[in-house]
Amino acid sequence: MKNERSPLLFTVGVILVAMLGPFPVLASDFKLIANSSLKADAVSAEELKKIFLEESSSLSDGTHVEPVLESDGPVHRAFLQQCLGRSSDDLQTYYRALVFTGRGSMPKELSSDAGVVAYVARTRGAIGYVSIATSTEGVKTLTLLDSKDNAQRKVIRRVKPEYPETLRRLNIGGTVRLRVTISAKGNVEEVELLGGNPILGEAAIVAVKQWVYTAGHSRDLIEVSIPFDPHS
Amino acid sequence: MRRRIVGLAFFCVSVCADPVILKAQDFKLFDRTVQVHGYVSQGFVYTNDNNWLTMDTSSGSAAMTDMALNASSQITDKLRVGAQGYDRNLGQLGQYHPSLDWALANYRFKSWFGVRGGKVKTTLGLYTDTQDLDFLRVFALLPQSIYPADLRDATIAHLGGDVYGNISLKHGLGDLSYTAYAGHRSDSIYSGYAYFLSQYATYLKSFGGLQYGADLHWRTPLKGLLVGGSRLDEDITGKGVGVSPFNYMAGVQPYYESSKADWVNQVYGEYERGKLRVDSEYRRYWRNQQVFNGTSEDLADIRGWYVSGAYRVSKRFQFGSYYSRYTVTNRTAGLLSAIATPATDTSLPANHDYDKVVAGRVDLNRFWNVKVEGHFMNGYGDAPYPNGFYPQVNLHGFSTTTNALVVKTSFNF
Repeated sequence: MKNERSPLLFTVGVILVAMLGPFPVLASDFKLIANSSLKADAVSAEELKKIFLEESSSLSDGTHVEPVLESDGPVHRAFLQQCLGRSSDDLQTYYRALVFTGRGSMPKELSSDAGVVAYVARTRGAIGYVSIATSTEGVKTLTLLDSKDNAQRKVIRRVKPEYPETLRRLNIGGTVRLRVTISAKGNVEEVELLGGNPILGEAAIVAVKQWVYTAGHSRDLIEVSIPFDPHS
Repeated sequence: MRRRIVGLAFFCVSVCADPVILKAQDFKLFDRTVQVHGYVSQGFVYTNDNNWLTMDTSSGSAAMTDMALNASSQITDKLRVGAQGYDRNLGQLGQYHPSLDWALANYRFKSWFGVRGGKVKTTLGLYTDTQDLDFLRVFALLPQSIYPADLRDATIAHLGGDVYGNISLKHGLGDLSYTAYAGHRSDSIYSGYAYFLSQYATYLKSFGGLQYGADLHWRTPLKGLLVGGSRLDEDITGKGVGVSPFNYMAGVQPYYESSKADWVNQVYGEYERGKLRVDSEYRRYWRNQQVFNGTSEDLADIRGWYVSGAYRVSKRFQFGSYYSRYTVTNRTAGLLSAIATPATDTSLPANHDYDKVVAGRVDLNRFWNVKVEGHFMNGYGDAPYPNGFYPQVNLHGFSTTTNALVVKTSFNF
């Protein structure tokens, strides 16, 4: 009896922590998705900004990329604010300046998460964003590396976090944000949870502690965002 | 004119009633996606006194229309090609003679290095390449001390090539963007300078020449702050026919003029924070032109600066203001010095134009905006190089001050 009730209690506990924890999944949460032709599993905030501002059309590994936008909505606004530091109106103005001077094009714009996923799945190099709850079958999910110093400190050994099975079954996902202390040699010394579901955060911390970065001149502090997608 | 305005109004109403047709049109050509974009704008200007920008503004004028249509396509991952046609009518200028605005191939090797060639928009300061695109801004007219609408052709594009790139600086020191270019500038014979010369019974058939320069700007670590500088050098030749002021009896003769020195230095800064945008620029244009078939020299020192601010009150409404200051000094050498008076005192209204501007912009939808703008100008800076005020449309002379109301609407897709 005791053995039978424990998983139930655990599940209820997990649900309570997941739902009432200090870092609920926000409606504005988004995850980055990309066409499966992309070799990279992660993209730095700086690279992502250059791609969406059409200052670059390839990742640091040389892979061609094409930005895909949502036309509006909380996910779109959150992405613009967090990743590009611009409002939707400002971004439209920016793109129009490119379009009417011959220096760029208007990126593909789609009105729904499902539309973005479908377009990214069939378009080589496409990279977009969707709400965290969206099924991302047929595309790959990218990790967003937030540090300004990512150009200097790249991950050379990455361990994928294990998705807590109970949360996956309950369709609970989200993005967790971590602050990572990296030694000069490139080892991860310390990981602190900044935001997101605490159970997912624990799983992310266990994985990130095993990551190895390129060596630097000194100890560095960086922020890393890791998406957990129950459908992937 | 009335029919044209009615036609434009009908077009505006019909496209705004159906925003779907305003979206960029994509189609496939040889398995490549081609994007098509365009815009059209219509303005109305009323001045309480002097006629401005070659229009009959003292009676109210709607002779302020421009439009463009472009098509472009990504040929390979790094190669993009496209072209844009442009047409305008601004009072006596443009006169609906269409031109190729830009037509280029753009190859971006890396984010830090790319090349583009063909007819390319010239990079000079914050807005030279986008000066026609008023729908990008709050203001219907950019500060005329630096971006004179009548002289748009002088800096808008060159037939040649650019190298450009963006370099991220280490240690969080921001980004550097550079552009260097060289090519041939070719002004329309319906531009402001050609119209200006016509007051001396001189009519240009061609005006242009070598143009080369560079721009460097730094997006600083202070979020939203950008500073930069540009330099442009030119070697310009004008050819046409005219009556020599030194020998009227000879009648109409071939005319030419050429640059002895012609350069622009420009520095600028821009700060954006949330809904606020502030920018400022300073330009010095030095022009030593050998005129009247090499018999004379005209040396003009033209300086302009402005400070501008704009604020987005809501999604649909923005307002802004700027102060723009233009001064010109001039002296001559050779035969012309016998009949031309040097202009050295910039406090005289003939040698300056100070403009205080307030503006409001309403976005009716994503594609259509309406602007209302007030200009309060002191001076008319009419010689020896044009700046908005022309004697041909001010036959009774100039008043010192001019107040102007500008109403403008633009569509783009």
